[in-house]
Amino acid sequence: MRQTASIISTYTADVSGVCSALFELGGMTVMHDASGCNSTYNTHDEPRWYDTDSLVFLSGLSELEAVMGDDEKFIGDVAEAARELHPAFIALAGTPIPMVIGTDFAALAALIQQRTGIPTFGFATNGMHSYLSGASQAFATLAERLVQEPRERRKELSVNLLGVTPLDFSVGPMVGSLRRRLEAEGIAVASCWAMGDSLENICRAGEATVNLVVSWCGLAAARVLRRRFGTPYVVGAPVGEAFTHVLAEEIRAAARDGQDRLPLTKRPPAGPGDLTLIAESVTGGSLAAAMALEQGKRVRLVCPLETEDGFLLPGDVRARDEVELEPLFKEAGGIIADPLYRPLCPPEVPFYELPHEAFSGRIYRRDIQDFIDHIPFFEEKRKRS
Amino acid sequence: MIKLAFYGKGGIGKSTTVSNLAAAMAQQGLRVMQVGCDPKADSTIALRRGQALPTVLELVRQGSFALEDMVREGFAGVVCVEAGGPTPGVGCAGRGIITALEKLQEKGAYEVYRPDVVLYDVLGDVVCGGFSMPMRKGYADEVFILTSGENMALHAAANIAMALDHFKDRGYARLRGLILNRRDVPREEEKVAELAEDLHSTIIGSLHRSETVQEAEELGKTVLEAFPDSAMAEEYRALARQVLGQAGGEQVC
Repeated sequence: MRQTASIISTYTADVSGVCSALFELGGMTVMHDASGCNSTYNTHDEPRWYDTDSLVFLSGLSELEAVMGDDEKFIGDVAEAARELHPAFIALAGTPIPMVIGTDFAALAALIQQRTGIPTFGFATNGMHSYLSGASQAFATLAERLVQEPRERRKELSVNLLGVTPLDFSVGPMVGSLRRRLEAEGIAVASCWAMGDSLENICRAGEATVNLVVSWCGLAAARVLRRRFGTPYVVGAPVGEAFTHVLAEEIRAAARDGQDRLPLTKRPPAGPGDLTLIAESVTGGSLAAAMALEQGKRVRLVCPLETEDGFLLPGDVRARDEVELEPLFKEAGGIIADPLYRPLCPPEVPFYELPHEAFSGRIYRRDIQDFIDHIPFFEEKRKRS
Repeated sequence: MIKLAFYGKGGIGKSTTVSNLAAAMAQQGLRVMQVGCDPKADSTIALRRGQALPTVLELVRQGSFALEDMVREGFAGVVCVEAGGPTPGVGCAGRGIITALEKLQEKGAYEVYRPDVVLYDVLGDVVCGGFSMPMRKGYADEVFILTSGENMALHAAANIAMALDHFKDRGYARLRGLILNRRDVPREEEKVAELAEDLHSTIIGSLHRSETVQEAEELGKTVLEAFPDSAMAEEYRALARQVLGQAGGEQVC
């Protein structure tokens, strides 16, 4: 059946993506929902919930408020909380009920901003898209609304890391590894969107030489920053030493000529019979490129999430539903995926676990590998002739 | 691009009036798009010269489709679109309007067809959030309400104006005026003038009750096409000029 997940999990939804992207920046994010989105978020989607303070709330939308279209309570509650808590910004994130009744989040955000004087953003998320879509909207809005016009560019070669959330990089050592790999290549990290960095620093992102899109949800922000300040962007995560070197060369070239670059597609194409990686397109494509460079592997990327056509190679596949994924699993020389994909894998095909927070939440967090630092080795079974 | 929405009580003659206005504006040399926002999907029927037009929601339900699938060029080159809606008695017509208008925008309809004027012909009363969609930022900039002197029509007009007033802080479309579509009831002009005054608005134009309109409808055409030399055609042309004048149309003429 299409659009059905009967034996595998589903990815974190867009509303949690908004919360995750903005979690550390001192703003206040309000999910407009009856209840449910909050417990999904803090139980499954947000590993920082219990040890990092953040103003993430749920509106408690009632049946009657939804039926009567009573936005005033929501507006009043958000404004009152903001007056008490003084957030740096306010973000409103939609869920399925407001989607069904057609809540106009852009208009509500404008009204709340009028009342509070605090920059307010409305995101028409609806739970029907993945976390990448929500995080992408949140990052793009920061780039549009909060990043300031730079007085001057930084002198040293520097990048903003765009698209960093625990949903793709978890809360272990991976974010530190992203920085360390680039710094080892002589590239400074001007800001990290948005883990381990301040809103103040992110507001100065216009000063960086190049933007580095490390997951798809950073792409829209990179395009906004290109339009606003002419900053070129490079797409790829610094996975392993050899691919990071390729990436660093592309960053230097982009800094010289101002052209955008896509090094994550610099890998040999693969197809049925090869190792098959189920992953987010930028981190997955980068890992595949790194495995090709360091291990001589051909890796076919299967992307079940939002992406761009240009991020995939011929032979890679966009597939989301079980009905689409099952035949790909059968023909693979080995599957590398989150453990919750295992039920789709036939017994004769080797299955290698690569836990992904956005797919299995906290279940396998302890087993999440820092593939930025160390590329795991996966052996495909002998290729079919 | 001028974007105008027309509201009014069901059966007041919105689709007939909007189609004739579209034809009149197109004959003035403007590129006009008419978007029917009614599950019945019959707003543009008099313009389409018998061409079938799948609704936007029918196409969405079928799966992938192109922009040109949801558009037909009608009389005088008017670009016709019908939002459509669920089967009567089920689903949510208001939400349907939202989806259809979002899809129209997503498919780049305004960029590709580059209309000078977009006319949204919206079902009856503003019964829920979906029917206020054409008023929202990014859609219509101005709203015109059609009414006769009949009490129910006046009541519906007052409700629509109330919705617009409710949304005034949200950057939604503004009420630009009333259009009197005469039914020849007693004290008709006086009653509509009273309403206009109550709403701090004006009657920007009026149409006489005329058999010509029904005769054109029998032929499945607009008055502008079927009886271009009639007095009624001239009334529609005059109303088109008044509407465009109110909406800053002189900039595009």
